[in-house]
Amino acid sequence: MTETPKAIAKDRAPLSGGGLRLIGYYWRRLTRNRLAVFGLAFIIFLALVAIIGPFFTPDPTEVDFEAKNLPPVGFTITHSTYDIKTDQFITTRVSGNWKHPLGTDRKGRDMLAMIVSGARVSLQVGLLATGIAIIIGTIIGVMSAYLGGWVDNALMRFTDVMMTFPFFLLLVLIVFIFGPSLAFIVLAIGLTGWTGTARMVRSESLSLRTREFVMAAKALGAGDGWVVFRHLIPNVISLIIVIATLSIPGVILAEAALSFIGLGDPTVPSWGIILEEGQHSLTTAWWVAVEPGIMLFLTVLAFNFLGDGLRDAFDPKSSV
Amino acid sequence: MRKSWLRDYIIKRLLYSIVIAWGILTITFILVRVGPSSPADKYLANLAAKGHDPAQVIAAIEARYGLDKPILQQYGEYMLNLLQGNWGWSLSTSMPVMELIKRHWIYSFQLILLSSLFAAVLGILIGIYSAVRQYTKTDYAFTFLSFIGISIPNFWLGVMLILIFSVKLGIFKTYYDTTLPLFSLANLKALVLPVITLGTGMLAAYVRYTRSAMLENLRKPFVVTARAKGLPEHVVIGKHVFRNALLPLVTIIMFDLGSIVFGGAYLTEIVFGIPGLGQVSFNAIFANDYPVVVAITLIGTLVVLLVNLTTDIIYTYLDPRIRYD
Repeated sequence: MTETPKAIAKDRAPLSGGGLRLIGYYWRRLTRNRLAVFGLAFIIFLALVAIIGPFFTPDPTEVDFEAKNLPPVGFTITHSTYDIKTDQFITTRVSGNWKHPLGTDRKGRDMLAMIVSGARVSLQVGLLATGIAIIIGTIIGVMSAYLGGWVDNALMRFTDVMMTFPFFLLLVLIVFIFGPSLAFIVLAIGLTGWTGTARMVRSESLSLRTREFVMAAKALGAGDGWVVFRHLIPNVISLIIVIATLSIPGVILAEAALSFIGLGDPTVPSWGIILEEGQHSLTTAWWVAVEPGIMLFLTVLAFNFLGDGLRDAFDPKSSV
Repeated sequence: MRKSWLRDYIIKRLLYSIVIAWGILTITFILVRVGPSSPADKYLANLAAKGHDPAQVIAAIEARYGLDKPILQQYGEYMLNLLQGNWGWSLSTSMPVMELIKRHWIYSFQLILLSSLFAAVLGILIGIYSAVRQYTKTDYAFTFLSFIGISIPNFWLGVMLILIFSVKLGIFKTYYDTTLPLFSLANLKALVLPVITLGTGMLAAYVRYTRSAMLENLRKPFVVTARAKGLPEHVVIGKHVFRNALLPLVTIIMFDLGSIVFGGAYLTEIVFGIPGLGQVSFNAIFANDYPVVVAITLIGTLVVLLVNLTTDIIYTYLDPRIRYD
């Protein structure tokens, strides 16, 4: 990428700590990455769909008996039904219509409505569980680095143990034992997914702890609380944002995978639950499995693009 | 000199792994004991419906499983039993859990082995190519594709492959047949779609790891030296850069086992009906077969622990520069 010297000078990091100017600087670096912009745009779109979508779509549990297995708009399929009077199979051609733009499933539920409410579930799970994991990870990481000694040792050995568990297998075990309610699934993901954050925050904090500005603060009589909240945490915040963005897709996928193997909350139509149902009707209604999967895929892709873009934007060494 | 610290280091790592294993077993014990449901639940409704006194049934089952003993004694017996290879009794299949695992682990192993080979060979080749041609159109294309490969939910990819190849095109309609030998042609054919399903995510990850490991080494001074000596480019890349990139690469790949591969294999087995441990655990969940679900999580975790330990030790042997003190 070629730039004029003026453009480079314009987005050099400001020397004084103007928070807004710093955010503006990172924003310009981020928006130069086209994939990250696509990711961000898709996430905003998805959030809007999840928040206001349910007001415009029918109730996802509502059943339309007249239109079972209706394909999406633009597709035509042949249904074959057995007629008991004539003892013959009757084939009828069915085309999608705008009453159900994404078609219906085998019970006659509107796919668009289910996808929209699934978006709500997936985003909620993604944000809440990641939030829990990040908070636990940050507390453990900072405590470990700052207190050192036996506390550091104990916390890091515990992290090692938790890290050895294969994430998904541990999740399956916990949800199997405690039962599949959505609140519990969120909690389980949050309580198991913090290990990576704890390690990274710890090593970052360790290197920060010996830096001059922290020593200066201590020399001036700053207490532990001040150093942690005023110096350590603000300096690991960019790292935390990147970890959070890159963890969300894993969390969303974990919930979908749990639902897919029957350990999801049966009362909530998440994408994983729709997909699980669609798997069994591949021969009659392929779109039921295709649509939630595409949404899952695009969501995960968007968060990965954004996370990668954020990492580059925050990294002073990378030339964005 | 080097030998003695290496031996000390290995002993230290071994002891440390034992501590971690103890932690893993303890956490699992706590989870099972804290959980709201117990092995008694499955039979309670059944027997109560036949007119048995529920309190008596609970007491009998608790006595059978030792749940009425003090918690510390239960913990001690649990540890002792696990160490002796007595992993409990599978109610739904009527055999010891160990026997069930012995019968089924090989199918998981086969799937993971073939997928890893597929992903590692292709991933490393593409990664090297991408790094050597950095910032060309092919590099961008591969980087973009690897993003897609990482983001595709693997169980959905499996369902889509079944939809396209089995349902629409009518090829690869075979199912895994346990009566045939492991590496029979029919079973290998049945594994084509599962290997692609499990391998795609791994492949994409390996492309990214290889590319960045290669790029890191490509800029080092010894590469300039090698080129200045007049060595042909394929020797520079293959011998000098790749050899140096390989070690960190192997570590990351091994590390992925617990985080990506095992979860992916679990789901892939369920989608394609491969009778490995994932499928066994899946069936046990529906049969509420407690000891099996617990045992399979434990086995997966202990394998990760063992692989991490082995990787660590091999690493120290292979790279003479490394010293852990």
